[in-house]
Amino acid sequence: MRRLIVLLLGSFCQHAFGQAGPYVRQEVDPAASDRGKRVYTQFCINCHGALAKGTEQGPDLIRSPLVLRDRLGDQIGPALKKLANHKTDLTNTQVAELTHFLKDQVEATAKNRNPEHPPNVLTGNLEAGRAYFNGAGKCSTCHSPTGDLAGVGRKYSPIDLQQRFLFPRRSKPLQVTVQTSVDQSFTGTLERIDDFSVALRDASGQYRSWPRNVRNVKVFIDDPLAAHVEMLDGYTDQDIHNVVRYLESLK
Amino acid sequence: MKRLAVFLFAVSAFGQATFPEAWPSYNGDTSGRRYSALSKINQSNINSLSLAWVYRVNPGRAPQAGGGNVNTTIKGTPVIVNGVLYTTIPDHVWAIDARTGSVIWHHVWTSKGGWHIGNRGVAVLRETVYVETPDCNLVALNSKDGKERWHTQICDLEQFYYASVAPIIVKNHVITGVSGDDLDIPGYIESHDPDTGALQWRWYAHPEPGTPEAKTWPSVEAMLHGGGMTWVPSTYDPDLNLLYFGTGNPQPVIAGQGREGSNLYTECIIALNPDTGKLAWYFQPSPHDTHDWDAVQTPVLFDGEINGQPRNLLAQASRNGWFFVLDRATGKNVLSSEFVKTNWTLGVDAKGQPIPNPAKQPKLDGALVTPNQGGAINWPSPSFNPETGLFYANAARAWSIYYLYDDDDKPEGWGGNDRSGFSEAMLQAIDYKTGKIRWSHKWPGNGGGVRSGLLSTAGKLLFAGDPSSNFVALDPATGEPLWHAALHTSVTNGPITYELDGVQYLVVGAGDTLYAFAMRAR
Repeated sequence: MRRLIVLLLGSFCQHAFGQAGPYVRQEVDPAASDRGKRVYTQFCINCHGALAKGTEQGPDLIRSPLVLRDRLGDQIGPALKKLANHKTDLTNTQVAELTHFLKDQVEATAKNRNPEHPPNVLTGNLEAGRAYFNGAGKCSTCHSPTGDLAGVGRKYSPIDLQQRFLFPRRSKPLQVTVQTSVDQSFTGTLERIDDFSVALRDASGQYRSWPRNVRNVKVFIDDPLAAHVEMLDGYTDQDIHNVVRYLESLK
Repeated sequence: MKRLAVFLFAVSAFGQATFPEAWPSYNGDTSGRRYSALSKINQSNINSLSLAWVYRVNPGRAPQAGGGNVNTTIKGTPVIVNGVLYTTIPDHVWAIDARTGSVIWHHVWTSKGGWHIGNRGVAVLRETVYVETPDCNLVALNSKDGKERWHTQICDLEQFYYASVAPIIVKNHVITGVSGDDLDIPGYIESHDPDTGALQWRWYAHPEPGTPEAKTWPSVEAMLHGGGMTWVPSTYDPDLNLLYFGTGNPQPVIAGQGREGSNLYTECIIALNPDTGKLAWYFQPSPHDTHDWDAVQTPVLFDGEINGQPRNLLAQASRNGWFFVLDRATGKNVLSSEFVKTNWTLGVDAKGQPIPNPAKQPKLDGALVTPNQGGAINWPSPSFNPETGLFYANAARAWSIYYLYDDDDKPEGWGGNDRSGFSEAMLQAIDYKTGKIRWSHKWPGNGGGVRSGLLSTAGKLLFAGDPSSNFVALDPATGEPLWHAALHTSVTNGPITYELDGVQYLVVGAGDTLYAFAMRAR
């Protein structure tokens, strides 16, 4: 096993890209991966670690170019047979199953930007969160635990509560007033705005638009979420965890 | 003679007036300023600009096995040489008549895999067009007919590398870069022979084991798998004979507990000798990054004045929200400042490098961080205008929560991620002498980052895409919007300008379409 370790580590250090194999990656067969895990556990785990990420006795196999280039044992099989202290009499089937297990670890690593389980965000203090809600955070200015927030702890998962508290979604479209002269203005749902035009749909459903580079056209937008955006500069992470813990209690 | 002129431009035009009828490389010239001396399109006549032609790319068929989905978004900056415009999407190169938009040839690379996230364009030298492919090849095409001259492997698909950057020509070198951060692999940059594709040198984005810089990693094993991809084109100073580029995030990307230290040479602005690949200096915008804030943004080269003294400068608006001005001969810091407000540092160190706040590293229960993973700016190109002395960045103020998913002592891959939040887009004009924002134009409408590069011209115009699918011209001195064209979708590349037959053209990509405007008024 030790010589394989040296071989694998050596190929890292040289960054020896060599000849690429077939480019379509080996598709992992879950059943074969399970059987391969048994082979791995029996013969490889002591040196290469439970997750194949290596130990002081053996290198990381997920980062191994030899493993990455292998297809169903075409690289690993011959390497095992050449090296001392390795299991040299594995059948071709066992070697192939071993590759399914290793490829499974590689693919899982390549995708681990997505969580296996939602993070635990309930690490704050409920009473501190309640105090912040009613005090420094000024949340109670607009929100009520028995009003609009009643039951939010039931309605949303903790991580969604955290996201919605920090980055609330717009519950209704933005309203805009466009003043076109001293005595004429139009109010409605904002349809579009850029540097050059503004458009709204009024209460009757009529769509209207105006150029903005005209001196007498003035645009007024009342964004109820503006206060939430301003708050982002003021929160500490502990504030956030405390408030989420409090909101989660609102069952 | 024209071919010779183009070649000479490609190797020696730093700091000089731009070669007006062409846009011969990714940034137009080797400085990265994206400033054109053309002025036939200017403030006085911008509203007479007319549509010259429109070209919609049609890849025809999907890449083959392992190639992923067709991505038809034009992210590359077109290159113009001898009246021919070259544009790309992954696996595809088109040569187009820059006067008419008519296709001259279309080269299709038969893909064997790799991420098809985008392609940043071609390099042209004499009669050869160079392009990188997602499946890790540098391909040389005959500029007359698009037929392949040769190709050579520049990275290993098996290790999850891919290639997307536009090659850059420096003297007798084709400079290539690589991409990929799914697994823990080292980044590098290479130089190839322009005639044969043979490798001239490779420089890895990590120190040699045993050197003082290697102590910025906990182990050789971590260092050799530490990332630092090179996916935005380089700039070059022919007087100093130095090549400049940025390196990407360290690996593992988010879970940094297995790579304590500053993790050189990831997240660095790098200066190399282009003939040897030897390191001249480095400066690290994001030591020990754990937020995926690749410091690959174009290092822009210009000559300026600091405290009354003429200086050879380099500036970068970095993805982490900080603006850096360096002496480009030495890499010494001249100035560090935020170009949008951030919350992740404890200040800067003696070298002018930000000191990351440990409290704002990803956490199991989340940490609120600005900027978000998309960054205060991303790959789209900035512009520096020597007339105004302002550095322009199409920026975003964006927030997200960073989570750590893998708290193992040796995480691999990413081991965490961010989850999106609030974002607002703005165009920032930065005074390079002070780092202060001279003017800021907040783009109205829905927030979110803008993936449009910038162009400034001697016509006293600054061109940009906004979040509302407009292609906009602004006054570079004040930020006042002056003109716009409503496109079918948002700008997705860097605009360029060139002159043919006495007519100044302006070309911009939006999604799968190139729009060309021309000033035909006399």
